Amino acid sequence: MAKPLIICRDLDIIYNKGKSNEFKALSGASTDIYEGEYIILFGASGSGKSTLMYSIQGSLPPGNGTMLIGGEDIYAISIEDRVYFQRYVMGIIFQQFNLIPSLTVLDNVALPMIFANKDKATRNRRAQSLLDRFGVGAVSHKITPMLSGGQQQRVSVARSMVNDPKILLADEPTGNLDSVSTQQVMDKIDEINTFDRRTVIMVSHNAAHLSYAHRVYYLKDGAIVREVVNPQRKQIKPVKEGETIVTELEQLARLFPYDSIETLRVKSLVNFLTQDYTFDQLERMERTVKFFMNGKIDRDALIKTLILPYERGGVGVPERDARRMATTSSKMLNQADDIRRFRKNHDQPHVFFDQHKLAERLRDHLLKTNRMKLSQKQDANLVEIIADRVVGVSNEVTFHERLEKGITTGGLALSEKESDDVARYFEKLIAQGVDVSYKS
Amino acid sequence: MRTQDLAQLSTRAFKTNPMRTWLTILGMGVGTGAVVVLVGLGFGLQQIILEQIVFGETLLSLGVSATGAQNLELNSETVATFEANEHVLDAAPLARFPALVTYKGLTGNLFVQGAEPPYIRYAGVVASAGEVFTDEDLGNDTEIMLSPAVLKLFGIEDDKMTDFVGEKVKFRLLVPESEGSDQINEIFIDKEYTVKGITKEEGVLNALMMLPELRSHVGIEEYERIQVRVDSNEFLVTVEEELIEAGYRVTALSKTVEQASKIFQGVQAVLATFGGIALLVSAIGMFNTMTVTLLERTKEIGIMRTIGAAPKDIKWLFVSESVIVGFLGGVSGIVMGVALGVIVNFMLNVAASQFGGESVKLFSFPLGFLVFIALFSAVVGYLTGIFPAKRASTLNPLDAIRYE
Repeated sequence: MAKPLIICRDLDIIYNKGKSNEFKALSGASTDIYEGEYIILFGASGSGKSTLMYSIQGSLPPGNGTMLIGGEDIYAISIEDRVYFQRYVMGIIFQQFNLIPSLTVLDNVALPMIFANKDKATRNRRAQSLLDRFGVGAVSHKITPMLSGGQQQRVSVARSMVNDPKILLADEPTGNLDSVSTQQVMDKIDEINTFDRRTVIMVSHNAAHLSYAHRVYYLKDGAIVREVVNPQRKQIKPVKEGETIVTELEQLARLFPYDSIETLRVKSLVNFLTQDYTFDQLERMERTVKFFMNGKIDRDALIKTLILPYERGGVGVPERDARRMATTSSKMLNQADDIRRFRKNHDQPHVFFDQHKLAERLRDHLLKTNRMKLSQKQDANLVEIIADRVVGVSNEVTFHERLEKGITTGGLALSEKESDDVARYFEKLIAQGVDVSYKS
Repeated sequence: MRTQDLAQLSTRAFKTNPMRTWLTILGMGVGTGAVVVLVGLGFGLQQIILEQIVFGETLLSLGVSATGAQNLELNSETVATFEANEHVLDAAPLARFPALVTYKGLTGNLFVQGAEPPYIRYAGVVASAGEVFTDEDLGNDTEIMLSPAVLKLFGIEDDKMTDFVGEKVKFRLLVPESEGSDQINEIFIDKEYTVKGITKEEGVLNALMMLPELRSHVGIEEYERIQVRVDSNEFLVTVEEELIEAGYRVTALSKTVEQASKIFQGVQAVLATFGGIALLVSAIGMFNTMTVTLLERTKEIGIMRTIGAAPKDIKWLFVSESVIVGFLGGVSGIVMGVALGVIVNFMLNVAASQFGGESVKLFSFPLGFLVFIALFSAVVGYLTGIFPAKRASTLNPLDAIRYE
């Protein structure tokens, strides 16, 4: 059985030891990382994931425990000897790119070779070929501040590979990048792992990246809380049969990366109690509905996909339910458009008349969906209540209260059950129809 | 790291922060410039003084006189003996007799000396007024030189010295009848001598005439002094020791020159101290700049360390940067100092020629000194760089990389 490339045992790392702001960043961390593996150290900020990575890198001597790289305890040797590992065994990329602004792109990439005493012709050739490979060869004679973030990160990927290291360390490499650049950089790192067969250790808090890794170490409050194997990738780490089996929890862990094992078990059970569909079905249904919402597929295609058995790439929903789902969702999306229109015209006073009509239409949708009939006075009041809610004058709670209030005081005098249904449906519409700006 | 890469990486500051780098160099330059100018002034002064008192032949001659004790006599034979020494080029005697001098009815005591022009050269006789005897004056039988004290005897003020040149005086020589006798014969020279020049000898009453002229009035059996001209500097001491061993008293002007040099070394030391203070101030300034540079580059140091730079690479980056800055500072200081010296020299000489004075070189910059200053400033650069460099190399890369 192959020996792990990196063995760390019972690692304790304490910042500012002996001072008043002493802080235990890592306690009792043990990992085995095999050559050629893609490992993600995952956790929220302050979980100790970067600490673990920099400890592997050789910059953070542990208080207790050992760190073996290729069988050698890198903290038992002198700093000057440890440089060998940093120069030839490990390459590193950072969230902030950390290129040196006073040097050209080419010199930045060649810098590790300068420290390795390579002559100029050799290192320029090597640096240029790496820059070409990562798609930034054309800018090699610019200085780094002239480059975009994505370009800078690809330059730093090139720099990390210039001395042909065995291990690539990446400290949240996409944290400062837009989605397009993120994809490019993630693809390059994946290529380094799968094509160049380099061991990749990446620190990340982005759950979307987890599928790249062979294994993910989840860290929380300075401890490794669990190790999750990615069933989609062929494992390099030798696994004894039956020792660990892939369960639904692994799947849930990817869906809810910040939750503890206990929460995930709860989720699994509650899902069974409340849902007719499994997480796999739900995941696929979500994807299909997303396509429908974005207009990529029409209503018929939606129904077809929903009906298609799971094994054949569909969701596996009974036909009657599928039709109902398609009808309801297209109806709701249409009605959500009215809300969008209402909000759009809200700032323009001369279209008041249209606004009133839109509110009336929304009222009609609501009544029709809930199969209700109201008096004239109630109708008028509901238009008011809807308008207030859509423009944001009232919130969800007051909206609900006004539905139950007396008619003479501007309410509808609905029963609790009725107002619950109306409020629930209307909030769904608002969720669809109101453009929100928050970062995902 | 290769030397050329080191040089390239450590001169980046000229591109990234040219203003501060050049100002640092200028600061070092002003400091070393001050040293160069002040020490150059010391060298210049020394040379001026030595040029005043040193004539090539004077330095290479020894003044020999007899010590009473060993009954040695200085006479024509002695002169011949001295000349026989292989390292001696020439020996020129000086005869001396007590005499009375008369000027416009006033009479006083003095010594009349007789010497040939080579003696005058070897002894380094110079005139404070009028002219000195030259080689053509050997047959001169009408002119004499007087020491300044003789003029005082006649009540002539120092500022009237020049006017005394051309005046006429008469002598009566006082010659002992025979050796060891108390009987003194008075020889009256019935002739007026014209004052050709005033010497610079202080505290003695002397009149100097050509030896043949003196000999025409009195028989000379014994000399007072003999100036021995040694052929080269390296035998000066050998000849001197031989003479002393033979029982003569020897005085050498080179000794005086040595003493003068010592004094001027002292003067130079004082000037160099002032320059050194200026240099120290600029070195502290440079040290400060290097420390600030360290802070500024902390992040960069962290980056370099994590991508494979050894601590000693970081150290050499800093040290070589400060050595380069220090050396350039030294060179610019030399340029500034020498330029200032040359300009002041030029202006002094223009002024001197305007007022009819002699041109002088107040500043002097020996090449060896300038080379030393250039190297020394590089050493100062090294010393100011080594401390920040050591600190930079021991920074924890992770702390450094997170430094903003």
